[in-house]
Amino acid sequence: MPKQSWCKSSLINDPNYWQIMSKNSLHLSLTNNLSELDQLQSDLSRFGVNNGLNKKVIFQLTLVTEELFTNIITYGYEDAKEHRIIFSLSCEDNEVRIQVEDDALPFNLLEAQSPDFENGIEDRQIGGLGIHLTRKLMDEITYERKDNKNLITLRKKIDVLPEDDQQA
Amino acid sequence: MDIVTSKINEIVIVKISGRLDTNTAVDFENKLEEVSSSNSPNIVIDFADLEYICSSGLRVLIQAAKKLKQVDGKLVLCSMQDYIQEVFEISGFDTFLPIVSTIDNAMEQF
Repeated sequence: MPKQSWCKSSLINDPNYWQIMSKNSLHLSLTNNLSELDQLQSDLSRFGVNNGLNKKVIFQLTLVTEELFTNIITYGYEDAKEHRIIFSLSCEDNEVRIQVEDDALPFNLLEAQSPDFENGIEDRQIGGLGIHLTRKLMDEITYERKDNKNLITLRKKIDVLPEDDQQA
Repeated sequence: MDIVTSKINEIVIVKISGRLDTNTAVDFENKLEEVSSSNSPNIVIDFADLEYICSSGLRVLIQAAKKLKQVDGKLVLCSMQDYIQEVFEISGFDTFLPIVSTIDNAMEQF
């Protein structure tokens, strides 16, 4: 049975926050509030280090996760209520998988328009930049709408440091 | 995120360290607003100690560059870690924002 730890948040006052971390997987439940970003970044960093991911990959995964989290919060809800956003990460067979589940409005990022890079600086469309970065940095993205939830799965092939070289 | 500013030869140097994320981007935007003006329209941003950036940070930079251009000024970025610079390249922002390796290179851009 892989060692699991059940953690309360040290960085936020969210009574509904939960986190389950074992060596190769991380599950996080966050509320739709930007104040939870620090916690998200901290958890991802720890997950990355535990799995021997290099600084660049940890950065890219954190970036993609933040972009998705921020987009869901900013555009996803028509009410002012609290919603849960669930992140599940796993690292197996030289691949990192991130799954994001939310109950926000239907949004398929695969169909979202990329920013128009033909225009000059004055006309550059600012929206959609996060989605563009996500698409470029991840190797595979799938989207599913199920039970009134958006489910996005992102995959990235990675080189893992040999066990001996991994930090504790 | 920490921001330290200095001035050399009428060029404002903004040294940013730590993380430029959706939350800290607001502070960064305010600081850039504070140090830039029609009297000081030339700014170098030193990224040597910046560990993280996301689209919010990129947006602040683009808006700042636009404003400075309107007062005949310029924004130059320098000393980025490779994975930070890659974000500018992927987003295509490196074609609009001059990015150089060192502070000395940056000062030569004006």
